[in-house]
Amino acid sequence: MWRRKHIGVKIAGYVLLLLLAIPLIVLVGVSLNPGVEQIFPPQGISLRWYYNLANRSGFIGALQLTLILAVGSTIVSTTIGLLVGIALTRFEFWGKDLILTLILSPLIVPQVVVGMAFLVTLSGLGVVSSLLSLSLLHCVITLPFTARAVVSALATSSRSLEEAAQSLGATPARAFLSVTLPIVSPGVIAAAIFAFVTSFENFTASQFLVWDRTTLPVELYNYVQTESDPPAAALSSLILLPVVLFVVVFNRFIAQHMFSGRL
Amino acid sequence: MGIGQRLGWPLLFLLPAAIVIGFFFFTMSIMVRISVAPNLGPAQIGDGFTSDNYIQFFGSTFYLGYLFRSLWLAAYCTLITAVLGYTLAYFIHRSGRRTRVLVGALLVIQFFTAYVIRTYAVMLVIGKTGILNRSLLGAGIIERPLALLFTETGVAIGMILVSLPFMVFPIVASLQSIPPNVEMAAASLGASNTRIFWTVIVPLTMPGIAAGIVVVYLFELTSYIVPGVLGGGYVDMIANLIYAKAMQSFDHPFAAAAAMVTLLVSGLTVYLLQKFFRLVTPRT
Repeated sequence: MWRRKHIGVKIAGYVLLLLLAIPLIVLVGVSLNPGVEQIFPPQGISLRWYYNLANRSGFIGALQLTLILAVGSTIVSTTIGLLVGIALTRFEFWGKDLILTLILSPLIVPQVVVGMAFLVTLSGLGVVSSLLSLSLLHCVITLPFTARAVVSALATSSRSLEEAAQSLGATPARAFLSVTLPIVSPGVIAAAIFAFVTSFENFTASQFLVWDRTTLPVELYNYVQTESDPPAAALSSLILLPVVLFVVVFNRFIAQHMFSGRL
Repeated sequence: MGIGQRLGWPLLFLLPAAIVIGFFFFTMSIMVRISVAPNLGPAQIGDGFTSDNYIQFFGSTFYLGYLFRSLWLAAYCTLITAVLGYTLAYFIHRSGRRTRVLVGALLVIQFFTAYVIRTYAVMLVIGKTGILNRSLLGAGIIERPLALLFTETGVAIGMILVSLPFMVFPIVASLQSIPPNVEMAAASLGASNTRIFWTVIVPLTMPGIAAGIVVVYLFELTSYIVPGVLGGGYVDMIANLIYAKAMQSFDHPFAAAAAMVTLLVSGLTVYLLQKFFRLVTPRT
């Protein structure tokens, strides 16, 4: 429905799209350079820097740590979110709004403040930075997202099927697990994906808790601060690849969620 | 259901969340405590109470400079992001299905890609030998490379590009919630397109604009990665100061006080922004 008055918007829209796309295209292009310079367009097509990544123990160790952290905190945080959802939508008690507000409160605290608070607490307790403290941090950061998504999925799902199962003799737990859970599973999966991404890319709070092992965003940040050759671009492109594949495959589902403001 | 079940089960279900959120509030209270503790040299924290850390922060134009630079930089970047974000959202809203799917995919890719990677990608574009300078030089538009990297302009460009998706999503959501016949009604009563846009569409999308502006302002005010990578130490913001004080000077009390100031300033700003938007949003 483009009317003539919208031509300006159309041109501006395409320019903005280009501005968003160009950095990512340049990133992939730079990673293909055969030489040591970060130049776009690349002076040739070479996978040299991708092979080179195999020898970089710093990147590989950081990737391992980040994946362990992201998978672990996603599982824990989605489970806790699901329990919160059950408590808030399947039971009657006083103060539900307050509880949800408390659970969502880490969202309004800047990441640098969360990181600082964890740092002074853990060093006060004499706890050296470890996988455990980073995991706890990532649970705090991801729980608001999972709890919110699960609560809204459970609150909007119709309860009549669950009640029908109960009236046919299923226990409340069985009715929930075998009737309601499959219905709300898209919402729960969306919550888990969101938690995974949030944990995987977290930098600002995590950098206060890394020790001689770092997470991938911290490792990449330190690398691009000091070095100016293409390995960081190669690694970034490798991380970009599954994101692009995922978005291309599930685009309709994701776009629906993003634009409905549910995430 | 017995009374025991009624009270017992929800408590049991909420227990794990209570532990996680409880620990979060515990860390915040420790930070409040440390922010009023005396600093006795690197990594040495005294037992008493003092307001020295706050006095040190507010008494020095050097430290206040970080706060004011952050507030100012975030303010104009948020404004530019809002204008660009609205344009992009309106473009998505008016586009056909295919363009919308394409744009949606690009925005979601941005959304799911780590800030570090996106900021680094911007650095590759605006650097001295980046594609921007090389193409402008090649076209003969400029004679010397533009100095964007390690300047405030470069940091601003990075902040706007990185936070644009946060602005677009809520505005698209509120544009799509406008019933199409509202616009037709205005048009049939003789309103011009410009008038419809400013008096019907913009007011009805105010909740989306407000949500976008609050999120983007909070994000930009406390950004660390963008000034770190694109500012190269020349355009440090408040988050960079906190990190440097905590992790390089090991002055935890001062860093905790600066973090408290950041928390209060960002909370106050969000409160004022929401109050402002409640005033300008039409009541239905």
